[in-house]
Amino acid sequence: MRRIVLPLALFAAVLAAWQYGSAWAHISPKLLAPPSDVLRVIGETLPLLLQHAVPTAIALVASFVLASLLGFVLGTALAASRRLRRAIYPHIVLFQLTPKIAVAPLFIIWLGVGAASTLALAVFLSFFPVLIATASGLTGTDAASLRLCRALTATRWQTFRYVRLPYALPHIFDGLKIAATISLTGLIVGEFVAAQAGLGYVVLFASSIGETGLLLAAVAFLCLIGLVLYGLVAGAERIVMRSFGGSSSTGDHAG
Amino acid sequence: MEQGHGVPGRVHGISALTAGAYVSVSKISKVFATRQGAVEALAEVSFGVGEGEFVAILGPSGCGKSTLLMMCGGLETATSGRIAIAGTEVSGPRDSIGIMFQDPTLLPWMTVLDNVLFPIRILRRPLRDHLDRARELLDIAGLGGFELSKPHQLSGGMRQRVAICRALVYDPAILLMDEPFSALDALTRDEMNVALLDIWERNRKTALFVTHSIREAVLLADRVIVMSRRPGTIIEDLRVPFVRPRDFSLGGTPEINGICEHLRSLIGRTQRAPGVST
Amino acid sequence: MTVAPAPAGRWDEPILAVVLPLASAAVFLFLWQAVVTLAGLPEAILPPPLAVLGQFFASLPELLRQARVTVLDSVVAFAIATAVGVALASCFTFSGTLRDAVYPNLVLLQLIPKIALAPLFVVWLGVGAPSRVIFAVFISFFPIVLSTATGLAATDAYALKLCRALGASPWQIFIRVRVPFALSHFFTGLKIATTLVFIGIVVGEFISSNAGLGHYILLAGAGGATSRIFVGLIALSLSGLAFYGAVVAAERLVQRWWWE
Repeated sequence: MRRIVLPLALFAAVLAAWQYGSAWAHISPKLLAPPSDVLRVIGETLPLLLQHAVPTAIALVASFVLASLLGFVLGTALAASRRLRRAIYPHIVLFQLTPKIAVAPLFIIWLGVGAASTLALAVFLSFFPVLIATASGLTGTDAASLRLCRALTATRWQTFRYVRLPYALPHIFDGLKIAATISLTGLIVGEFVAAQAGLGYVVLFASSIGETGLLLAAVAFLCLIGLVLYGLVAGAERIVMRSFGGSSSTGDHAG
Repeated sequence: MEQGHGVPGRVHGISALTAGAYVSVSKISKVFATRQGAVEALAEVSFGVGEGEFVAILGPSGCGKSTLLMMCGGLETATSGRIAIAGTEVSGPRDSIGIMFQDPTLLPWMTVLDNVLFPIRILRRPLRDHLDRARELLDIAGLGGFELSKPHQLSGGMRQRVAICRALVYDPAILLMDEPFSALDALTRDEMNVALLDIWERNRKTALFVTHSIREAVLLADRVIVMSRRPGTIIEDLRVPFVRPRDFSLGGTPEINGICEHLRSLIGRTQRAPGVST
Repeated sequence: MTVAPAPAGRWDEPILAVVLPLASAAVFLFLWQAVVTLAGLPEAILPPPLAVLGQFFASLPELLRQARVTVLDSVVAFAIATAVGVALASCFTFSGTLRDAVYPNLVLLQLIPKIALAPLFVVWLGVGAPSRVIFAVFISFFPIVLSTATGLAATDAYALKLCRALGASPWQIFIRVRVPFALSHFFTGLKIATTLVFIGIVVGEFISSNAGLGHYILLAGAGGATSRIFVGLIALSLSGLAFYGAVVAAERLVQRWWWE
């Protein structure tokens, strides 16, 4: 009980401080728009916000799907060849330690200012977690299950389909959830650096005219979009993990 | 080798048996290369198994009995020597060999029935034809109402029973079992021995059963092969005199105690004196 | 009795582990050069590898100057984030109330795409190092708090019982038992934080700066000097890797010293 009440109380307290504190401490509402202001701005500029939310949302879904497919395919390829893994994996690990986000200007040179380079940046950043999760999930199958497949003379494809892949699904979904978050980050930075549309652009624009109300409104929409995608992925995970076990032979045969 | 009290039918003339035997193991040696140098796991092991015979391989830990079984199943290669089943040399896994391990290794997202039918799927045989057999095996194994249960809903013993059914569903010619009951508690293990006796009665297959339990070996098998400590060699090949069908009440009789005592003394000797093979 | 030959490839395993990645890097560079030559790409789109190398050495002084700005900002941000994170996590172990109140809110905050708030910090703190540094702290202190708190809480229950039975004070328990156990979790959080700090600083430099490697790269992009972009990226990557390496080295040192 206290686990719920205490954090809620703190949250409410912070919210209240935010709402009333700025007036009490004589902080200009432009500098830190209280929640009521943010809500007002949302109401006033809803069409504008939606107009910018749509391209960002579409780009998010597109980049996530592309990154997931790319990451999954390449991850499977890496899992299939030990030699390839040893040749490439060290580079991937090193790559993960660098601030890849800095390549944004490079994509702008290649794809121009606008949606294409933003999308490319998001895909580039978010396919890595899927790649790594897929490769490590598929290669991490326990030895006993693999031995069972060998004993039954299963082909590599059969081992992949019936044993490696199902066991790897939890890993892969973890990677997908990370990719969903990173996709959004990549999009936002892409829109900061080179866009004339999208919620990231709105955030930057709002900051340039000092309108934190608009800024926070745009951030709120970004949160929403991010949560929806994350929720969809988590939901898909539930369905897949449950219906996976649900396939019984009585479904294939008459009785 | 000494004659123990009440130990009838020691198997002589090993070479005479391997020639033409259903399973023939000839001069199998296995050397592992480790960081500490070469380790000789098996040294010139030879024996034969007749068709339909149930042979237990008994020995202390590390004597190479599991490795030997793996080689029979085509999952390991020998350094030298030859294993043949039904005349053909074993060079890799085959679909006429059924194998069971200590860990049942069921696939957790599949139902019991699907798990049993898994080999059929792999071997690309028609599922429909084997559905009845799978159900029948589960029945015999005492898992009648559990076809649609998932592995996590079963106890350890029940899971091993599913593994037995899975090993039998595709009607292999020979069944290899590597300490399948070692991970179970004593009571469940006794149950499993009974279950296996029962199942085997109705599905007579050539069987090789690795164990480190003397009583289990004598209870289940037609023959017990005793192996020495590493490097593993055969120190005794003993025919078990009890008729089938056997039941568990056999467990307390003086005859079985005598045999167990004899085997225990053999294993005791090999454990005290390092590397002794006779 | 024959001795089996070593399993194939045993002797060359460590060699392959080095050769294969190097070979793939070489293949990559070769393909890069091939694409440039065969497709006749202008240097503004994709400079050949050697041009990039040449540019790197030509711009080295400039790069070092800019790198110093970025790395310094990152180190400061990292230090603050570590201090705040560890302090907060330590408070959690001493006050269950604080922990129950704050921890779930921290987890909740993880749901926000914090990077979107970078311009907010510019509004508050202006264009310049403070806004970047504070933003980087904001982004990177979360993994430190969460990991350290988990680590401090993960102390073996039996060890704790023993200490209490021996009459140790809460502070003693903290220092002698909780901290050593928590070290590996703590360093995991630190390692995650190093990457985040750099991301925070670079994004900060993108949106408001006149110095630093991020700014250098952005400027190069605006001017179409692609080889400079590459060179800046190399410098940035090296800085990031060096930083990470420093944390790993620190981890090894601390582990050895504390467990003595």
